[in-house]
Amino acid sequence: MIELNGIEIGYKKRLFSIEDIQLSKGKVYSLIGSNGAGKTTFLKTLQGNITPLNGQILINKTEVQLFDRLKLSQTISFVNSKFDGVDYLRVYDYVGLGRTPYTNALGRLSEKDQKIVENALTELNIKHLSCYFTTKLSDGERQLAAIARAISQETDIIILDEPTAFLDYANRKLVMREMKKIASELQKCIIISSHDLDLCLESETDILVINKELKTLQHFISNTLSKEKLIEIGF
Amino acid sequence: MTVARNNKFILFTLVLLFPILCGMHLFAGEITVSFSDFWNSVLNYNDENTSQTIIREFRIPRLTMGILAGGGLSIAGLFMQTMFNNPLAGPYILGINSGSSLFVAFSVMTGIPFLTSNLGTISSALIGAFIFGLIILSFSYLVKSHISLLLIGIMLGSFTSAIVSILQTMSEPNQLKLFTMWTMGSLQQVEYTELPMIILFFIVGIGLSLFMIKPLNALVIGESQALTLGIHVKYVRLALISITAILTGIITAYCGPIAFVGLAVPNIVKMIFKTQSHLTLLIGCFLIGSFFMLTCDIIIQVLESTIHIPINALTSIIGAPFVIVIVLKRLA
Repeated sequence: MIELNGIEIGYKKRLFSIEDIQLSKGKVYSLIGSNGAGKTTFLKTLQGNITPLNGQILINKTEVQLFDRLKLSQTISFVNSKFDGVDYLRVYDYVGLGRTPYTNALGRLSEKDQKIVENALTELNIKHLSCYFTTKLSDGERQLAAIARAISQETDIIILDEPTAFLDYANRKLVMREMKKIASELQKCIIISSHDLDLCLESETDILVINKELKTLQHFISNTLSKEKLIEIGF
Repeated sequence: MTVARNNKFILFTLVLLFPILCGMHLFAGEITVSFSDFWNSVLNYNDENTSQTIIREFRIPRLTMGILAGGGLSIAGLFMQTMFNNPLAGPYILGINSGSSLFVAFSVMTGIPFLTSNLGTISSALIGAFIFGLIILSFSYLVKSHISLLLIGIMLGSFTSAIVSILQTMSEPNQLKLFTMWTMGSLQQVEYTELPMIILFFIVGIGLSLFMIKPLNALVIGESQALTLGIHVKYVRLALISITAILTGIITAYCGPIAFVGLAVPNIVKMIFKTQSHLTLLIGCFLIGSFFMLTCDIIIQVLESTIHIPINALTSIIGAPFVIVIVLKRLA
């Protein structure tokens, strides 16, 4: 799915390099690293917004720099750490925005688009919220809506930037559980940046950690890393 | 996003009411005219018939400008509000009108024949609106807060009005009168023969707007999210500024600066339709903007025998308190 070959990540100055890593479909990867280690820069590089200083990123065998904006939006979707909601924007219409890369010039949802939106809402168990305004939801519900929007975008890759940062314990668990379910059911490659070590380890995701001393990104398969070791490497 | 069923009903009702309001506007003036005068003035005009002359030379241009000014400024306001994610944005408060004013002042006061002609005035107004649109756009990248951008817009307005007053002190009495009349705003400055060109500009502006619906819908959730949805945000912003410049510039050239319509109407429309579907909002803004403007102008016509209210004064009297209400409701 994603191949990282001899990458050096950085924006103006070099932040870290990456041993050759392949990220595959059907898996959730937790990206961990201290503040300023370069998590955000890494995610932006993956999305093609920042060019790596060295090496190449291949998505489905094509270099990400060669993707145009439309192709990118059909390949990678992105969920922010927080969506505050927008006045008068209903959940259904918000999730429907995920179809933007596929709709015609007027942005009208076809029957097929509507089906996809409804499936995304069902997938996250928020179909009953369809007609609610996004401003009237709880933080947890809003984050689920944001994820549903990413799913309706039908991309192979979903990137989430600290999606659980503003959620309570129950909602954090819920989001991680949903992401694991989506990854395996819909065969997506999901990358989640997080500061919540316990949550990532409990959820049994693969771990990508930015090694503070070696300045490299290391990949650990789920359940092969203890919390102590993780702290030692990353912080 | 599609148009919800009850919103279709509201739009349909507005469309039905539209000709009625237009009729009220046409026949509201002091001098009574008949319906057949109206048809004749359009289809077989006889310039010796006073009623027909009144309709053709005054009423129809005034009606048309009312519809276009109300609708156009409201659409421009909607664009600014979505583009800057700011419910208090609008062409007037962001200083886009003042760009037109400044350039029109310059061109009128130079006394150069081409620049004082109609076409010269329109061109100056369009260019001024576009340049000031670009200025505001570049400031929007520098300031984070909504309020700061509004303050910058207001400062642009004060700055230009200062320059304009200096220009006025240096100008000939004739030019001064021309320009002062213009700043008071009026729907009455247009001649019948100029209407086709103005309407053409509007059709272009509104036609282009249709292609902005999809990017606008995406911009609602913010610039960075719109980017990940495949929207070319940079080009879209330039296109939005250009359309705003066409709509605002042409209205400002002919009617003078008209305040608050572009700010208030999109907010009213959102409250009525409760949606972020820009297809609905666009149609809603055009219709309700026209309604608002025509209603204001009917009030002016009815009161005309007792007191002459400039259109800009009336829209401010209604619009300014409304803006305070929005501030209290949404930003407090």
